[in-house]
Amino acid sequence: MNPYIPVLIVLIFGLTLGAILSGLAAFLGPKNPRPEKIDPYECGVPKVTGANEKMSVKFYLTAILFILFDIETIFLYLWAKAFPQLGWFGVAEVMVFMVILVAGYIYVVKRGALEWD
Amino acid sequence: MGLTADEFTIQFIATLVKFAIVAGLLLQIPPVMVWVERRVPAMMQRRKGPNRVGIFKWRIYGLMQSLADTIKLIFKEEVVPEGAQKAFYHLAPVFSVFPAFLIAMAIPYGPDIHAFGTTIPLSIIRVDVGFLFIFAVSSLAVYGVTIAGWASNNKYSLLGSLRASAQMISYEIPLGMSLIPIVLIYGTLDLNKIVEAQSHFWKWGVFLSPVSFLLFLIAMFAETNRAPFDLAEAEGELVAGFHTEYTSAKFAAFFLGEYVSMFVLSCLASTVFFGGWQVPFFSVQKLDDLTGFIGVSALIGHVTLMLKATFFMWLYIWVRWTIPRFRYDQLMSLGWKYMIPLGLVNVVVTAVVIAAFRFS
Amino acid sequence: MSDFSLLMTHGVFHLFAALITLCSVLVVMSKHPVKSAVFLVVDLFLLAGLYATLDSHFVAAIQVLVYAGAIVVLFLFVIMLLNLQPEQLRGLKFSAVEAGTLVISLVGFLITVVATFKGDQTGLGDGSLDPVAIEAAGGNTYVVAMKLLTNYIWPFELASVLILMAIVAAVVIAKKDKKKTSAPIS
Repeated sequence: MNPYIPVLIVLIFGLTLGAILSGLAAFLGPKNPRPEKIDPYECGVPKVTGANEKMSVKFYLTAILFILFDIETIFLYLWAKAFPQLGWFGVAEVMVFMVILVAGYIYVVKRGALEWD
Repeated sequence: MGLTADEFTIQFIATLVKFAIVAGLLLQIPPVMVWVERRVPAMMQRRKGPNRVGIFKWRIYGLMQSLADTIKLIFKEEVVPEGAQKAFYHLAPVFSVFPAFLIAMAIPYGPDIHAFGTTIPLSIIRVDVGFLFIFAVSSLAVYGVTIAGWASNNKYSLLGSLRASAQMISYEIPLGMSLIPIVLIYGTLDLNKIVEAQSHFWKWGVFLSPVSFLLFLIAMFAETNRAPFDLAEAEGELVAGFHTEYTSAKFAAFFLGEYVSMFVLSCLASTVFFGGWQVPFFSVQKLDDLTGFIGVSALIGHVTLMLKATFFMWLYIWVRWTIPRFRYDQLMSLGWKYMIPLGLVNVVVTAVVIAAFRFS
Repeated sequence: MSDFSLLMTHGVFHLFAALITLCSVLVVMSKHPVKSAVFLVVDLFLLAGLYATLDSHFVAAIQVLVYAGAIVVLFLFVIMLLNLQPEQLRGLKFSAVEAGTLVISLVGFLITVVATFKGDQTGLGDGSLDPVAIEAAGGNTYVVAMKLLTNYIWPFELASVLILMAIVAAVVIAKKDKKKTSAPIS
């Protein structure tokens, strides 16, 4: 049996659950929206601007560093899986790989890109 | 693959049954946890906590409070904020529940059952990428948070969701790195095989790779946005974070997602570091032959795993009421500056030590 | 593989192919970039489903982990960083671009359908990539790992250089000197 059939079951289940939760609230709960009620919450003060604030570039930096280190982790997983067969050769290979990346990591730290200020 | 039609039918029905049991179990978690999360701090602070609600004269320590809360939440009005992105606003809770449920399907809940002429594994999704499947799915959990925050058209929601998503992606790397030594030690990505390899008490992951366990534990708290890393919903600054604008059943859905992912990570921690369904100093798989009933071993193994997971759930609450919240810059520098280098060193040291022993 | 599971695999393939086409069209046609990004996530997730039906478990997992789970997060952050106002996001009318995309997608889908019914659709006839053989050799991940770390050792090592370059580039772009600029939101 294909091992991913349960994934489809969970997908269907998730959507059904979401629909049921939404449906329950829609059918059972009262519905009388007023302008004051549906105003986005800002501590009771009428909102000044929309929520589309410009956000900091730091989040972008975090995201791109995440992708790069994520890829590194995946390569390490591949190596870990083949580790018993590759032996010292594999260890040496990954050391070279890691030394290059650690150089990058040290550069990031030295440039202060990980400082959240 | 190589299954006859009969076997296929049995496996399919078994999958449905297993799914129903696990889904039922997971849906029970939020009500119980909400109750525990009110009673335990009450105990720690010498208060009483909710103890009144009951059916007729049976109060059961106020356990019915959760039922009352659930019913209340369902009957509350659903307030959709003005200017919200309707479709995404309604879909976000589904996005946050779906990954947690999917990971729960990959956990081995007990030893294989040999019945009806085939072997029925007690994990529902069993693929040879094991861990990677779990990471892949858990990386999708970011979207529930991001979409909820963005679709609400509320500044607090947006800020909370940005913080939460940046935090979740930052701690995914230490989480992934912490498990590489485990793969090196046991030589497999398959969770079931990892549990089988931990048959001896002193071969549990926590003894063979304690640093991994430490990293995993910290990353686990950060991934679920729980205290001391609950920056995303720091009440003092962000009201309630990304679910500020959610009410009634959808608010409950976010609770469901949060508690299920806590439970799933607890199960994963028990599976990888504490022997999963293995009982210390005792071979569970022999129980079938000893008692003569098929499935006794599965039951005992399952209860063992649940007890171990319960410990971690308790730990979540214990830590929440013990350690104060971090600042956001402290949180990010802990993840990026300390846990990633520590994780890399851990991988290298483990690899060299194992290689020295095995390949010398 | 029995006829029944083959049939199911085909069914799933066609279902996914149709959904992927639909999502791709929605990615292009959505007026708001965040919506496009969300459809892209669904798209990439379903694409992983296609890999899964081909028994490429490793590639499927990586597809979700890297593309759906990481790269689109970056897209979302960039979209929010740029913060385009609704008036700047004037949606296109049903223009030649969209019509063209739609037609090309549909043609692509039809080609896929036709190609699938033509028998050996995989094109991997040499048997070395047959799922049963891979299973016997130690599983999908193991086979990929061995290939990458022995046959393709230079690309593997060069990948680290590529990642290094990307890290440096990202920091250079996003981190302007020591001089502090006031951050809007943190």
